[in-house]
Amino acid sequence: MIKIAIPTCGNGGLNEIMNNRFGRCDTFTLVTIENNQISEVESVINRARDETGGVGIQAAQIIGNHNANEVIVDFLGPNAAFSLKALNIKIYHTPGGELTVKELIDLRLNKKLQLITSANVGAHQGMGRSR
Amino acid sequence: MVKPKIICVTGGKGGTGKTMVAVNLATMFKNRGYKVLLIDGDVENPNTYLLLNGKLKNKTEVPYFLPKILEDKCNKCGFCAENCATHALLYIKDSIPILISTVCSGCKLCYKICPTNAIEADLKVIGWIYTSSAFDIDLFIGELKPSEARSAAVVKTLMKTLEKDIITDQNKYDIVILDTAPGAHCDVEELINQADLVIPVTEPTRFGKLDLLRIIELINLLNKEYRVIVNRSSLLGYKEKFLLDLEEKGIEVLGDIPLDEDIVSSYCQGIPLMESSRNSDKNGMGYKSFNEIFEKLMEWGEFSK
Repeated sequence: MIKIAIPTCGNGGLNEIMNNRFGRCDTFTLVTIENNQISEVESVINRARDETGGVGIQAAQIIGNHNANEVIVDFLGPNAAFSLKALNIKIYHTPGGELTVKELIDLRLNKKLQLITSANVGAHQGMGRSR
Repeated sequence: MVKPKIICVTGGKGGTGKTMVAVNLATMFKNRGYKVLLIDGDVENPNTYLLLNGKLKNKTEVPYFLPKILEDKCNKCGFCAENCATHALLYIKDSIPILISTVCSGCKLCYKICPTNAIEADLKVIGWIYTSSAFDIDLFIGELKPSEARSAAVVKTLMKTLEKDIITDQNKYDIVILDTAPGAHCDVEELINQADLVIPVTEPTRFGKLDLLRIIELINLLNKEYRVIVNRSSLLGYKEKFLLDLEEKGIEVLGDIPLDEDIVSSYCQGIPLMESSRNSDKNGMGYKSFNEIFEKLMEWGEFSK
């Protein structure tokens, strides 16, 4: 069983578009995969998003506490990357564009996503970004 | 306890001549027989010693608290992580918190509140303090380790070093001059807060005025007396308008220093313009204006030996 967390806009869910910010997304959509099929979908509000600092750490903590073992991200800061690695959560990178959770999960199941191991933006890059 | 008079040279904007003013004020006090200590609190770019042709000596480390979690004592309750203001402790249910040391502010709260005393005080080095002397002026210099953020902590250590010195010998210094970093951040605040008199150094430009007004806001918040020095006052011929503007705002001016090649060459030599052993042009604009500033400073403050 794998549980994939995806930062999402609005209320989250399979048809929601991915949020390109990890720490400051609105929600995390958590998708459980069993036998290569979606077995459960759950949305969690990102309570960390409006804090002034340390949001990447708290966001990692939120998905860690929901037992996620994989995450798909676009922009990822250094503290978030460090935290996800400390929690042994695998980090996949979106190929870009406005993709929905469903589309990203399909890409993941077809092994079309790239694994990343470190941050791809500097600290505080998520602050004030539009979406 | 007899306290030396503390003068803080600051200014908001970078490159206005804070260090040049601090070094020459220190030199003028020394020329009059005062025992002078110059503290370089611009810990991100300490360079007073360069203007005094001095060397960094007697390096000591500035340690800073980091929590160390003792795994055998931790009951995995997460109380430390819950209360960590900077979120430097990452906690997952029923597991030992993980420290993200780069965001730790060193506040020790976790260490104090852990219900099972599972947090030990560990230390990391965030910078260094040097003590030195040049031209009969004692120097304390702080340096922040690159990539570290806690400049105010290095500045605090500088002031503690002074405190210790004064406790052992009350008469060690008559005058202490503090040279701050640009900006109006907490490291600058820390130094202004220790001062008896504050001297913001500015220049007659739009940037100069903007940053001067910001630093004055901070000085007023800290309830300190200040007088401004306008450096490079002959720049672009805006001096009169600039001074008038300050007057209208009720900002008192200690004096102004026009552009002067002798100042530039003293800067390059590493010998202060006002150093008596230097062959400075006694009729030069810079030399004369520094003397005038010093006279006004002596009227403003009460300085005893």
